[in-house]
Amino acid sequence: MFNLIWKDLFIQKKLILLYLAIIGLYFWLGTPLFWLAFITSISFIMNAFYYDEKDNINILLNSLPYTRKQIVTSKYIGAIIFTALFIGVIAGGSFIINGMESPFSWKGVLQTFGLVMAWISLIFPFFYKFKQQYLVIGGIIFFVIAMLSFKAVIHLLKERFGEVVQWFIGLSDLQLYSSASLVILLLYGGSWLLSMRIYERKVF
Amino acid sequence: MENVIELQHVTKSFKGFQVKDLSISVKKGFVTGFIGGNGAGKSTTIKLIMNLLKQDSGSISVFGLTHDTDERAIKERIGFVYDENIFYENLTLKDMKKIIRPAYKKWNDAMFHKYVDQFELPLGKKIKTFSKGMKMKASLAIALSHQAELIIMDEPTSGLDPVFRRELLNILHELMQDGDKTIFFSTHITTDLDRIADYIIFVNNGEHVFTKEFYKIQEDYAIVKGPLDLLDADTEREFVAVQKSNIGFEALTAYKDRVADLFGEAVVLEKPTLEDIMYYTEKGRCLNV
Amino acid sequence: MQILISNSSKEPIYEQITTQIKKQILTGDLQEGQALPSMRQLAKDLQISVITTKRAYEELEKNGFIYSIVGKGSFVSEQNTEMIKERKMKVIEEKLLEAIQNSRDMGIGLAELKEMLTLLYSEDE
Repeated sequence: MFNLIWKDLFIQKKLILLYLAIIGLYFWLGTPLFWLAFITSISFIMNAFYYDEKDNINILLNSLPYTRKQIVTSKYIGAIIFTALFIGVIAGGSFIINGMESPFSWKGVLQTFGLVMAWISLIFPFFYKFKQQYLVIGGIIFFVIAMLSFKAVIHLLKERFGEVVQWFIGLSDLQLYSSASLVILLLYGGSWLLSMRIYERKVF
Repeated sequence: MENVIELQHVTKSFKGFQVKDLSISVKKGFVTGFIGGNGAGKSTTIKLIMNLLKQDSGSISVFGLTHDTDERAIKERIGFVYDENIFYENLTLKDMKKIIRPAYKKWNDAMFHKYVDQFELPLGKKIKTFSKGMKMKASLAIALSHQAELIIMDEPTSGLDPVFRRELLNILHELMQDGDKTIFFSTHITTDLDRIADYIIFVNNGEHVFTKEFYKIQEDYAIVKGPLDLLDADTEREFVAVQKSNIGFEALTAYKDRVADLFGEAVVLEKPTLEDIMYYTEKGRCLNV
Repeated sequence: MQILISNSSKEPIYEQITTQIKKQILTGDLQEGQALPSMRQLAKDLQISVITTKRAYEELEKNGFIYSIVGKGSFVSEQNTEMIKERKMKVIEEKLLEAIQNSRDMGIGLAELKEMLTLLYSEDE
């Protein structure tokens, strides 16, 4: 199964420079590290998914000695591994440029994982359910939202949901992060099971 | 004799198309040709065997195992070639091999390179620059490089020139020297079958028409030509379908000997080609509906 | 072993094979105990299906011309000499009939034909 995860990296080997360039650009723009890691990880994961759909790769994979469970599982485990890789690269890059001034904090790491996993939990079952054209549309929408929304979302949260945010802020970091982690882990597990069920029934 | 593939009462419905109560088997150590017109259910059947589709009812076993419990063990032992491209268009054949190779326990790299050389395939060029025939050859090179016991091919010869089609038959003959290998392939270029097929499975409109030894087909079936006055409601029953013209009739019978007895010297009997059989069977179905 | 098959012949391919192998056994081109190519090899060489060569070998075996040992292959059987003689006589007869027919076609009489035969026979010795 790790062959399948390695495959997702391998098929994008020519894009790795592009990803590094994007990371450099965002450094220059001063984007928060956790947000940068989130965007690059998601782009990478979704792009691998898109390649598989575009070229009938599901027919190939399902004809090779892999089970459908393994094929889905490789995407869910791969997502975590690739996110960790991007966090590593970005943290390394940040250290080289800024030294220890504004490092990738453990909170930032958790935020990135949380966002990636939440996003995947919601989006993967749809991807498995629907066809390629929806994937492209979904990808474009994601990018537009990701570009525009970061500050707007924070602003909106502060304005409209002040009380909720206050309540959250009232929680200690430990309480906040551990409960959020738990929720996201449950969501991720549920999504994984759902995707497997959808994929098992898929016809090629 | 041992069956490598066995379908029993398999049914699969789609919108506007159905595989109906299909029971077929493929014998170990032989080449089985799978014929039928467009939309006869050939690709669907192959996909069912590969577990790319799940049957609505009935059972499918490969090597005596089922996909429910032994999917990986089954696929480990199958080499497959499809009618459509299943490689990343933007990767090279060399890269594709790197992706596929770790999937198999018994991958044989020397064998792969032998076929790549033989087929004159460029390892370093992107798949999207390949012609249909080259893509098929690439699939074939991969299918033959992991010591598969069963080779399943969906229309492998459709994109190939006559020279390579002949070469392919040589490769398949070579493969069959080892009596443990089995080949199952669908085709509508029926002349390919004359040189290699041991058994023919014929499906029409999602239904099994026959499975026969290749030579048996020409013992059972015949093209019958004769004057129109021989035809009446009784005699027409001997035929799969009849084509009438001003100068006489031409028909296909599945009971060559009986027709020979019945009409004697009044008719001419000829060896039918597989195409004749497919044509008249399809025609007969249309008339009977 | 030489075998020539014709796809356009009316005679089924397996029959073409059996006829030719039988003939080679009767004429002594294939000797008793001699190994035949495996049916898969023969199928490959003739570019025909394995099941066709299989059927041909089965027929030959049924008629006592060859025998098979599992895992070793097929071999030419010991032939009953009386039977072979009889068969050979038949072959001779056939050939002579052919010669006679040709002679008649060309208006060659019996005496002339006999002369020719005597000449050829002694020449060969």
